[in-house]
This record gives sequence, structure tokens and C-alpha cells, in this order.
Amino acid sequence: MTAARIFAVGGLMSYRALFYWLTPMIYIPSLVVAPIFQILLMAYIGRSAGLASDEFFLVGNAIQYAAVPCLFAMMHLVGGEKFQNTLGAILVSPAPRLPLFFGRAVPVVLNGAFVAAFSLLVGSLILGVEIPGGSIPPLALVILVAAFSCTGLGLINAALALRIRESAVLSNVLFGFLLIFTGANVPLSDLPDWMQTISQWIPFTHAIEAARELVDGASASSVLDLVGRELALGAAYLAAGYLLLRFFENQGRRHATLERS
Amino acid sequence: MSVVEAIDLHRTYRTSTGTIRRKWIDVEAVRGVSFAIEKGELFGLLGPNGAGKTTTIKMLITLLIPTSGTAKVLGHDVVKDAREVRKRIGYVFGGERGVYERLSGYDNLRYFAELYGVPPGEQKQRIASLLELVGLTGREQERTEGYSRGMKQRLHVARGLLHDPPVVFLDEPTIGLDPVGARELRATIASLVDAGKTVLLTTHYMFEADALCDRIAVINKGEIVAHGTPAQLKQNVAEGAVVEVEIFGIPEGTVERVRELPGVNAVSVEEREQAQVLIVQTPADIELTHAILGRLDGANVGRVSRREPTLEDAYVALVSSGE
Amino acid sequence: MKALRIMAFGWYFQFKAISRSPFEGLFQIIWPLFFATVAFLMFRAGTDPKTLLYASLGAAVMGMWSATSTTAGGAMQRERWHGTLEALVASPPHFSLILLPITLAMSTIGIYCLVATLLFGRFVFGIDLTVEHKVAFGVSIVGTVLSFGALGFLFAVSFVRFRAAWALGNLFEYPVWLIGGFLVPLVLLPDWVRPISWVLAPTWGMNAIRESALGGTPWPDLALCLALGVAYVTLGVLALDRVLGAARKRATLSLT
Repeated sequence: MTAARIFAVGGLMSYRALFYWLTPMIYIPSLVVAPIFQILLMAYIGRSAGLASDEFFLVGNAIQYAAVPCLFAMMHLVGGEKFQNTLGAILVSPAPRLPLFFGRAVPVVLNGAFVAAFSLLVGSLILGVEIPGGSIPPLALVILVAAFSCTGLGLINAALALRIRESAVLSNVLFGFLLIFTGANVPLSDLPDWMQTISQWIPFTHAIEAARELVDGASASSVLDLVGRELALGAAYLAAGYLLLRFFENQGRRHATLERS
Repeated sequence: MSVVEAIDLHRTYRTSTGTIRRKWIDVEAVRGVSFAIEKGELFGLLGPNGAGKTTTIKMLITLLIPTSGTAKVLGHDVVKDAREVRKRIGYVFGGERGVYERLSGYDNLRYFAELYGVPPGEQKQRIASLLELVGLTGREQERTEGYSRGMKQRLHVARGLLHDPPVVFLDEPTIGLDPVGARELRATIASLVDAGKTVLLTTHYMFEADALCDRIAVINKGEIVAHGTPAQLKQNVAEGAVVEVEIFGIPEGTVERVRELPGVNAVSVEEREQAQVLIVQTPADIELTHAILGRLDGANVGRVSRREPTLEDAYVALVSSGE
Repeated sequence: MKALRIMAFGWYFQFKAISRSPFEGLFQIIWPLFFATVAFLMFRAGTDPKTLLYASLGAAVMGMWSATSTTAGGAMQRERWHGTLEALVASPPHFSLILLPITLAMSTIGIYCLVATLLFGRFVFGIDLTVEHKVAFGVSIVGTVLSFGALGFLFAVSFVRFRAAWALGNLFEYPVWLIGGFLVPLVLLPDWVRPISWVLAPTWGMNAIRESALGGTPWPDLALCLALGVAYVTLGVLALDRVLGAARKRATLSLT
């Protein structure tokens, strides 16, 4: 019972922490306009290269761009608390850590999913890509799972950011990595073998594949195992991020580096 | 013609309070400041923090546009003729920022030497002698990110003098400097005047104004409350006396109670080591010591003395009279 | 001319200061390489006979544009943070002679990006770097840098009032990549977009670089690129007086 309440309250607090830095001035250019342009850019480069279809790039980039809100929001959340020197207080509070942290992750996931869904919708209108009505509910689920999965990666990233000074660079590197390795812009079969192997273990790859099939008219049940794999990956990342955070917390307590200004 | 003329300068800032429902309030930082500085004078603008010194000086150096009133430097209006003013003045603001950290001190100076149009043939020589003047010779090739605060301050001084301006403005130049550095800087400032320059100095250090300035204007809450030579300012309180009472643990309300005594001109408290000292300014012909002690409510009293007023007391009287 | 001297030295010192931020500098170069990699993979996998050199040049100029767009908009804000904006405004030269060298210095960093991308394409993807008209190539690159700096100057002046100027600058990264035709021939874009491409100096700079590398006629493109640059600077200078006057009235030159 208490765990659920902590989960909910933690989520609400995270919402406010999320939006204090996300003013409309930053939100609209970075999370509304930019993803739409990335979709258009990649779709046209695809036409220029004679590769795949508009739909291919629409789905791939709409989902891949969710990395921006997920990675950066998680980083601001964890990093922001450090900056406000409350991390120490939270970490020594008697509240069970798990629901607290995961509660804070919920708005991040929802925000990421919203960004992806919105750009997918607008991109489809501009490019004239038809999304079958029946696919929309399962698509929404796939997008949610994709955002969840990347948020997990975001927690690992955020934990590392406690140690590294140039954390924004790390997030941008991850974004670029996901741009290449998830098959967002290049069919997996056209990637060299070693890249294909890596692609199976990172966020988005499975979700993008599932989403593309759904937009092609596949049934929800046929993409279930892809969704399952994405979900499992996300959970694993989340768990790893949580453990990393606790590890650094313990380290920080030993070396008094917890609150680095 | 005065070198610097300020005529009824006003400057209002607009700030907001609150985040959800913003309220805009106007704060008048400078309320009708007027003074004139003659050639070769070292003029001091003295006042506590927040009095409007920096705002006034920024208007004179063309960084701020007055809300009303005018100012002229060497006959050029600071708003209409900003470019002509900028060519002829140097200013030193100091502080930790204001330098290019990734460049060396030398490069910083070279950059501004170019901006200020120092003839290329003279630059090397001028920079070298300025470095000598501020005591940075030998450190100029290091990046300024490694400079101490005092070194950065001294670099600011060198930069302000690059183009050998006839008028120099300094805003609290000795703040943050160690005593030795501060003393050296004061000597440098004095030498500027000896060289024929006109200098405006703002400070909240009373003794600094007393020691350096030919004339002082005391500014408090945006208005000039007194001006004259240090001697003239002392005159204002010269007819009085000062009673100092050492108290261990001043009780609440004491200052107000003492101030109420008829004849008392000003009351202030100074912290000194273990005790506080109550400083009471009174007219010379009234003996108020007993009355004052009577208002002390049985507090633990140490030494009691009576002395002549100093410029510090004049200053305190001037800036606390607004409360 | 005194003005040219002031700008040249301004450019020199600002470039020195900017290029000495090791981590920022490194990142500026790495970021476009991700997109370059995607572009190379796409063109390699695709069916269009365009050469990979086409992709390499396009990606290289994308990098050049990134270097400018992500930094130029915040130029005045940067000076404000350093505490140097007041000192610059209080100096005699017209502020455009001080600000333009700053954005030019930023766009000069783009040359590092260009070289890094071309080398990356050469050594990782085996893209042959034969350039037909070498002199024209060099001149086109310089001209493109100048026009990017000019456009950056216009951004810097326009974004002065926005505290999150960097976010606005980022806003122009993707669109210029697309509309400038760096990796997409302009004919593929909708008709109504074409005029927008034509008033963007990057479009012509890219053309000039491409023509000189692949063996065409770069000079008309280069001329147009530089002419647009001059137009941007003119607009910026006209706006600058108003912008600075407003800043002096509203007391926003310093942070305090």
C-alpha cells in the first residue's frame, strides 16, 4: 500500500521536477518541431538514396527520437536532485527505494511516448503515410513500451552522469548510437553482422520492427513477442540502472563524493 | 567646462515578483543625482551597498540609458554621443568575470588594445608598461583562468588604461583585494591623477575616500546626501561629540531608546571582538553620557569614552539618517 | 582599413578562445559523424547511383552547419556569462565589428568538422576523395564559412532576448540540412520549398563545394552564397542598434 502511494507521489514530484526546466521555449523546438524535421529529413534522404519507403523512415525516426526526452529527462531528474542537494536526503530516507525511483520514471516514459506518438501522427500527415485504424491501439502500446525501454537506458545514463562531468555529451552520443544501430534509418539486413548483433540488445530495435509491421497491417498478436522482448530489455536496463545508482551511492558515501557541485 | 557632468540623473528598474502571477514593480535606483567633476580631480562617490553607485557609473560610461536627466563626459552626451564618450574613457569594474579565461592575460590586453584603437606600433610598449604598473609582469602569458581574483582585478585595471584615456572610472576597485594589493592599487590610482587624468572612484570604504579623494559625494538610496572635500564633510560633524559605550550583549531596543533622547544626532553599533560598541553622536555642548547609560537597562557596560568625530561618523550620520 | 583590422584581430582572438575548449570542440566534431555514418550506410544500401563522395560532401557540410547553428545563436549570451559583454559594448567600435568576428570564429570551427567527416568517410568507408577543381574547392569552403558566419551573426542578433537561445539555434539544424539540399537534390523537395532554399546561403555554398569537387561550375553558386551573406550582415547590422539600445534601456547587458 505504502509502496504504491510512494510510487504515485514520487511520480507527481517528478512531473514538477521535469517541467521546471522544460519551459515551452525549450519544449516546443526540441520535442515538437525537431522530431518532425528529423522524420522529414531522413525520409527525403531515403528518397535521395533510393532506399526503403517513407513509412520506413517515419516509424523508425518517430520512435528513435523518443531517446531525447527519455535520456535527457532522466538525467535531469537524477542530476537535478544532485544539484539541489536533495539526493543525499532521499537516499537516506527510510522510504523503500524501488517504488520511489520507479514512480519518478513514469512521467518520463509518458512524456517520451507522447513525443513519439505526436511526431508519428504529424509526420504521417505530411508524408501522406496511411496508418490503419485498427493498428492504432497496439501502436500506442508499442510506443509506450519503447519509451519505457529507453527510460531504462536513461537511468543507467543518469547514474553514470553522477560520475562524469560532461554528461550532456554522453546523452548525445547515446542518441547518435541509437540513430545508427536500431535500424531506424537503415534496414537491419543491410547492416554488417556485428552491428546487427548489437542492435538486438539495445532499446528501440524490436519496437521499431513491431511498429513497422503494425503500420503494414499486421495483427497485434503477431508482434507480441517483439514487444515482449523490448519490455524485457527495458526492465533489465531499469534494474541495471537502479543497481548502478545504489553502487554509486555507496561509493559516494565512502568517498564523500555524493554531492559534487 | 567640467570634465564629467551629471545633471539630475534618474534610473528606474523594472523587476517582477512571484512566478505564477507576476507583478511588475518599478524600483528607482537613482533619484536625481547631480555633480560635476573638474579636470585633474579624483572624485569619490561614496555610499553603502545598493545606494546606486554602480548604476550611476554605468550611466556615465554609456552602458545604461538614464530614465531621465542627462550626463556629459568631455562635452559629449552619454546617450547621443556614446561613441565619442567611449573613445575617451577607461573603466575598471573588476570582479571574477569579465576576462576571456582561455586566453592569456597578454592576449586579453591585445584584443582590447585593438578594439580601443591603440596604434599598432605602440601596443607592445604600452602593454608592457601597464603590466609593470599593475604588477603582472611575468604572468601575462598564462591563461587567465589560472589567475587569482586579485590578479584578474589588476588585469582589469591594465585594460582600462590601454588607450591612455583622459578620464577613468573605477567601480569599487579594491573589493576582494588583500590589504597589500589594495594599498598598491590605491597608490596607482593616485598616480593616475598625478599624471593629469580625471578619475571617478566609487567605494563604500570611508577611509579610502578620505585618503584618496579631492572631493566626495555621499550617495544613499539613490540620492546625493552630501558633497564636498573630506575636510568640509568632517566640518558637518565637527561641532559635535561622540560618546562610545562598550556593552557586552546589547539588549533589544536599546538603539531606539537612545535615539529618542533629545539632542542625539545619530546612533550606531559597531561589533568589536567580544563586545559591541554603541556610538552616539551628540552636539558638543550637551552632556548626555548619564542619560545614555540610563537607557541601557542594566546591561553589562565596559568602557565609556567621549571623543571628537571623524569622517567615518559623518558618513554614518549621513547614510543612517534615511532610516 | 581600421574596421577590417578590428574584425581580423577579433576573429583571431575569439577563435583562439573557442578552439581551446577541448571537450566542447571534440563533441562538435563527433556529433555530425553519427549522421554522416547513417548517410553513408543509407547511400551504400540504396539503389540510387549517386556516388558516396556526394554523401561525404553533404555530410561534411552538415557538420559545418552544426558547428554554427548550435553555437552562434547564443553568442551574446555566452559573452554575458563570461562577463565580457559589457566590456565589449562599452568599447568604441560599432558592435557589429565585434559580434561578426565572434560568429565567424564559430563557423570557422566548422572546418574541423568538414575535415573530420571527409577523413572519416575516407578511412572508415573507403570513400575516395578526388577533388576536380582543388582551388575552387578551397575557395568554396572559405566562402561557405564566411556565409555561415554571416547567418550566425543574424541569429545572434535575433536571439538576444531569448535566454534559451541555444534551443532556438538547435531548431535550425535539421531544417537547413534538409532545405539546403546537402544530401537531398532540391528537385525532390516540394515546389513551394524551393524559394526558401534559394534564399539560404548554405544551399549555394553546398552547391559550390559540390561542383568544385565533382567537376562543375562553382563560381555562380559561390557568388550567390557570398551575396546572401552580405545581405544577412546588412540585416543584422540594422537590427543591432535597436537591440543594443533596448538592452541599455532595460539593463540586460550584465547578469546582475
